[in-house]
Amino acid sequence: MKEKLYQVWRALIWTFDPADRGEAGKAITRNFWLHWFPPRMTKRSLSWGYSLWLGTISAVLFFILTITGIILMFLYVPSVERAYQSIKDLEYAVSFGWFLRNMHRWAAHMMVASVFLHMVRVFYTGAYKNGISHMAKRQINWVVGMILLGVTLLLSFSGYLLPWDQLAIWAVTVGTQIARSVPILGDDIYYVLAGGTRLDQNALIRFYTLHVIFLPALLLVLFSYHMWRIRKDEGLASVEQEKIARKSGKPVQPEMVFSTPWAVRRIILVSLGTFVWVLFLTVFLESPLEEPASLEWTPNPAKAPWYFLWLQELVAITTIRIGGFTLNGGFIGGVLIPAILGGAATIWAFIDKSPPEATGVWFHRSRLVQNLVFTFFALLIVGMIIFAMYFRGPYWGVYWPWAWPELPEII
Amino acid sequence: MTDKEIKSKRREFLKNIGRLVGYGTLGGVFAGFARSLWPNILYEPPKRVRLIDPKNLAEGMNYFPEHRLFVFKKGNEVWAISAICQHLGCTVNFVPFGQKVKKKILGKIIEEEWEFHCPCHGSKYTQDGDIYAGPAPRGLPHYPLEIDPATGFLVVDMSREVKKDWRLKV
Repeated sequence: MKEKLYQVWRALIWTFDPADRGEAGKAITRNFWLHWFPPRMTKRSLSWGYSLWLGTISAVLFFILTITGIILMFLYVPSVERAYQSIKDLEYAVSFGWFLRNMHRWAAHMMVASVFLHMVRVFYTGAYKNGISHMAKRQINWVVGMILLGVTLLLSFSGYLLPWDQLAIWAVTVGTQIARSVPILGDDIYYVLAGGTRLDQNALIRFYTLHVIFLPALLLVLFSYHMWRIRKDEGLASVEQEKIARKSGKPVQPEMVFSTPWAVRRIILVSLGTFVWVLFLTVFLESPLEEPASLEWTPNPAKAPWYFLWLQELVAITTIRIGGFTLNGGFIGGVLIPAILGGAATIWAFIDKSPPEATGVWFHRSRLVQNLVFTFFALLIVGMIIFAMYFRGPYWGVYWPWAWPELPEII
Repeated sequence: MTDKEIKSKRREFLKNIGRLVGYGTLGGVFAGFARSLWPNILYEPPKRVRLIDPKNLAEGMNYFPEHRLFVFKKGNEVWAISAICQHLGCTVNFVPFGQKVKKKILGKIIEEEWEFHCPCHGSKYTQDGDIYAGPAPRGLPHYPLEIDPATGFLVVDMSREVKKDWRLKV
């Protein structure tokens, strides 16, 4: 009898507590949600401290964004007459509309941060390197990751326009005008982005379509490839450390663990933690909604969302005048400098010639200089964001945050 | 060349033609898709619009928000300056001084009653719309005005610019 009960119990829980390698493998391959994982992983690649689980956090946030986004699509009307009203309804008329909107908004802000931090983590750990593996092509995943960061930013930006309030219209006016400031091609890029020569219904429906289907679909395809590549690259870059140790004859403990329950348990924990954090923000912090969009007057100052404030700072200070020749800061600070920074970071994975030992480990000594240079640029961007957020006041002047000048009423 | 070689060359040639047709068709279809996103007709307000009976213009500054346009009247002279910042398209604020103020701008001392300041990135324009501080690459455009003979109303043409000393006598 006892034996029988035990067998029933095992039949229920064996996938979460496999007895041997065979069961561990089956627990993965027989489960649709898990079949893309390997049956065993190294302890190091599952540790909290190595990856900080930022990729998983980003994926969970994207999942939250998809769910809330689909529900929001039932409640939002992408028309210049009704968009603003449908957001007002979400705030005041729809049951739990504020909850949906806050959750979508905070998950989006968090995702920009987590994807950026994921990129920072991968750089500091040299995780785009191949170590001593002959199979791995981790540089490709670094490039895909940079594109994913770009798509994440574009998703945030395109979502920003949809409430059609003052915050939205001026952020997008500036954003699209940056595209317009590109020499020669600028007017054509603007024309197809906005669907005309001014921001109106054509622009709204274009940004809406980009936001709800084109960019999420692109992100999903790239994300799937990102995951697939990790398998093809034989796991996270930290596995190279064990390979190197084994090769040099050092005693390596069998640090492999079964993916169920080890990886699954942590994935569930990270998902729950991310969800709770987003819930916390959702419940306690409100989302702003300014007056309805109007090109007739601009809020003073009109600030971009925080992740674009460094660009706003750059476009305001990089106009170049040489004699009669002028290059708009919109192009230099808004297109050229970010393109150079992003491009340099992207190809850096192919230029970095540090030794294999620097793969998959935090702050390896041989990468000291490049880590410092990377930190310099990362801090520069963060510094510009903080400066623009707290020290830029009316007319983009420099003020202490507590000493903004009183402005006369503008007609 | 043997028969076999000729046949294999012929086969290669036909394969290339097939590839060309295939990829060409696919490319053409996608080019068509992309082209559809460039509008051929714009349902936007016209660039040349009727504003107001000049008798009703206030002395000094008149703002026409729907056209983002300042119209100034001094005695019997009127002129129009765009309110669209030439940096990245924000609407500039009209900043009146309340009196004539002597300011040293770009090494010259000029007398001004007002200026235009942009809230987005801090571009500053003189009374005549010349850029003197901030990132804007050029000054605010001036547009020609005319009187509509049928109604006697003031009409602005925002499709072409005029020099900054251009004035309409009314």
